[in-house]
Amino acid sequence: MIHTFKGGVHPNYMKAPQVPISVVAPPAEVIIPMAQHIGAPCKPVVQVGDTVRMGQVVGDNPAPVSAPVHSSVSGKVVAVEPRPHPLGDTIMSVVIENDFRDTPCDDLKPLTEEEMKDPDVILKRMRDAGVVGMGGAMFPTHFKVRGGIGKVDKLIINGAECEPYLNGDHLTMLNFPEQLLKGIELVRIASHVEKAYYGIEVNKQDAIDLLNSLHPEQYGIEIVPEAVKYPQGGEKMQVFAVTGRRVKPGALPSGVGCNVVSTRTCYAVYQACYEGRPVIDRIVTVSGSAIGRSFNALTRVGTPLGYLAEQCGGFVKTPRKIVLGGPMMGICATNFDAPTIKGISGVLYFTEDEDKSVKDPHCIRCGKCIEVCPMNLEPIFMYMYYTKGDYENLEKYHVMDCFECGSCAYNCPARMPLTHAFKTAKLMLQAKAAKEKAAAEAKAAKEAQK
Amino acid sequence: MSGQKERIVLDAAFQPQVRTDRDTRRLMLDVIIALIPTVIVAVLQFGVNALFLCLIGAVSAVFWEALYRFLFKKESNIGDLSAVVTGLLLSLTLPASAPWWIPVIGTMFAIVVVKQLYGGIGRNFLNPALAGRAFLLASYATLMATWNIPKALSGTVDGVTMATPLASLYSTEAAGVMPAYFSVGRLFMGYIPGSMGEISALAILIGAGYLIYRNVISWRIPVSFIGAVALITLIFGKKGFGNGEWMLYNLFSGGVLFGACFMATDYATSPVTLKGQLVFGAGCGLLTVLIRYFGGYPEGTTYAILIMNLCTWAIDKGFRRHQFGVTKADIVLQKAQELAEKEARR
Repeated sequence: MIHTFKGGVHPNYMKAPQVPISVVAPPAEVIIPMAQHIGAPCKPVVQVGDTVRMGQVVGDNPAPVSAPVHSSVSGKVVAVEPRPHPLGDTIMSVVIENDFRDTPCDDLKPLTEEEMKDPDVILKRMRDAGVVGMGGAMFPTHFKVRGGIGKVDKLIINGAECEPYLNGDHLTMLNFPEQLLKGIELVRIASHVEKAYYGIEVNKQDAIDLLNSLHPEQYGIEIVPEAVKYPQGGEKMQVFAVTGRRVKPGALPSGVGCNVVSTRTCYAVYQACYEGRPVIDRIVTVSGSAIGRSFNALTRVGTPLGYLAEQCGGFVKTPRKIVLGGPMMGICATNFDAPTIKGISGVLYFTEDEDKSVKDPHCIRCGKCIEVCPMNLEPIFMYMYYTKGDYENLEKYHVMDCFECGSCAYNCPARMPLTHAFKTAKLMLQAKAAKEKAAAEAKAAKEAQK
Repeated sequence: MSGQKERIVLDAAFQPQVRTDRDTRRLMLDVIIALIPTVIVAVLQFGVNALFLCLIGAVSAVFWEALYRFLFKKESNIGDLSAVVTGLLLSLTLPASAPWWIPVIGTMFAIVVVKQLYGGIGRNFLNPALAGRAFLLASYATLMATWNIPKALSGTVDGVTMATPLASLYSTEAAGVMPAYFSVGRLFMGYIPGSMGEISALAILIGAGYLIYRNVISWRIPVSFIGAVALITLIFGKKGFGNGEWMLYNLFSGGVLFGACFMATDYATSPVTLKGQLVFGAGCGLLTVLIRYFGGYPEGTTYAILIMNLCTWAIDKGFRRHQFGVTKADIVLQKAQELAEKEARR
């Protein structure tokens, strides 16, 4: 049986899993931003002039919601200063001059078989190796898994890879199937659950067959084939497709006893535990009409986006935007010097060929946004209230439940900037709520003084 | 390379970065394609004049739209083809005997008054083509009710003009007894007099099938509209309960099918909520039958749809769905809590 959810769209997938994994030569200088996760940013633990080895911790923060960052090459620290971050702004970063020796750091040793049965050891290793949600959310995995212990009875591994262009998960399944299953087993053990469900879209049938041939049941894993539809990989859609449970509005999947972990994260957990290797590289799909071809490039964290394009043959057309991640949810980098980070699964160099926006869009009220919204929202009305600045009705139409999958805007024949509007609306509402809360607190404090 | 990089200006564009190929223009083109079978039938039954009227409707609608937007210094949007659709739809609701200036006046009312004065595409609250037709009905009652004999019936009846099947169906003297040349099969094929677009059920259904297959329109409005007419005429037949023939005559005569498939599904003037679309269609069906049974006017489809157009906003407000993750039990619980709070405040 093929599992899925209601709504969604079928974008032009543009996938190229037949392109083998290529290795991007590490750049002469890597930039390691201190914020590569959701939560407290790291503080640099190295100084200019320090010699660092590949995999050495260069930034850390003891806060619970955080994950250390590691050097992806060996060499010398040449700068500790704010540098452009791919997601915008400048962020404190450690810049390392590559000595091209890749001298490994042996701070992390492979775990013994005994240790790999202890959830606490695995969780600690996840943290030490800097494992974060590598599907793009970059939420520290150790914190997510620990938070789910006791609440979660079903672990769901996200292998949908529903975004167009991206192939990293697919190629990980095909090239490292056993390692992947072992990684999932480790996450499962750390989560204290009996069984993990691995949801994979059936456009990766070869990977499903391969994984099934390796007896996933001996690792406590069941492969769940899923329909090819965007956003199948959305957390709530994934939970619904696999278990039939509906995550409540505003709640996390752990509220219905599920935790969703991405494919690449599980592979990172495998590398951390079996190989003692922290997160310093990943497969990044490089594509887009400015490049003209697709690459599935094994890329070191901290590789500048301009350098990455050069390594992939350079531009055949002038790029107009650099999309990080998939084209549906990915946001744009505006600086060629910004580096790749742990959560970036694809870098797409788009020209105006991909751009279909119009100058003065007119909603034709076709309702196609409503048909595809996986959250059962009514984007047409949300947009209307957004343009009016009507906060009250925006909330009544549940704009806060929008997870910005982009299906409505993708499907909009009139090219209304729907998703962008809801993103802004959510920020406005959050700011308003914070302001009201502060005002209420100030009032309460005043009354207490009286 | 690095020198070139300096000059490249990067956009921080809105997500999503990719969009469907199907834009407004493509949707409207699909509607035009879906209308081709009905136009062909009209030409076959009423001659080249039918095609001529259709073209005049389309061209004059584009003309009015372009003129209005030029005069009021608005950006031209005739490229989206919506005016062509309006003009074509309006022409197809006319009798083939109409003079050439009828669609010109009709589209002026439809485009300028109904559509552009309210802000253009997507902003009008009445179906422009139907409102244009209603305007013409009120202004040129005789011209709008002169029905040429179709080619399929030439020689069967005397004269140049004749009554439509719908008029026969509801005329008091005939008491629902239809002449032999108005068999259900002939109605289905379109061998009957009537407005150019409405005569052939077959051609309309082919077009509607194409629109639904291409997901230009959803099945909800046509199915609930036609379903409601079928159900009501079957239960409350003028020739007794459960008379299938009476039901089929009601479906295939007049504008029910054309209205349900091409008029009631107009984006701007029909609900966007999924349940709302079902309610809207059913409402159109109910009003159509009510007007036919009790109104002073033989055909009810035009006014039924126009009345329901006016209810669209209210229907959309009233038939919202719950967001993902909210069950019916949650709603009941929430309502109970609200009630309890109200009680407590008292």
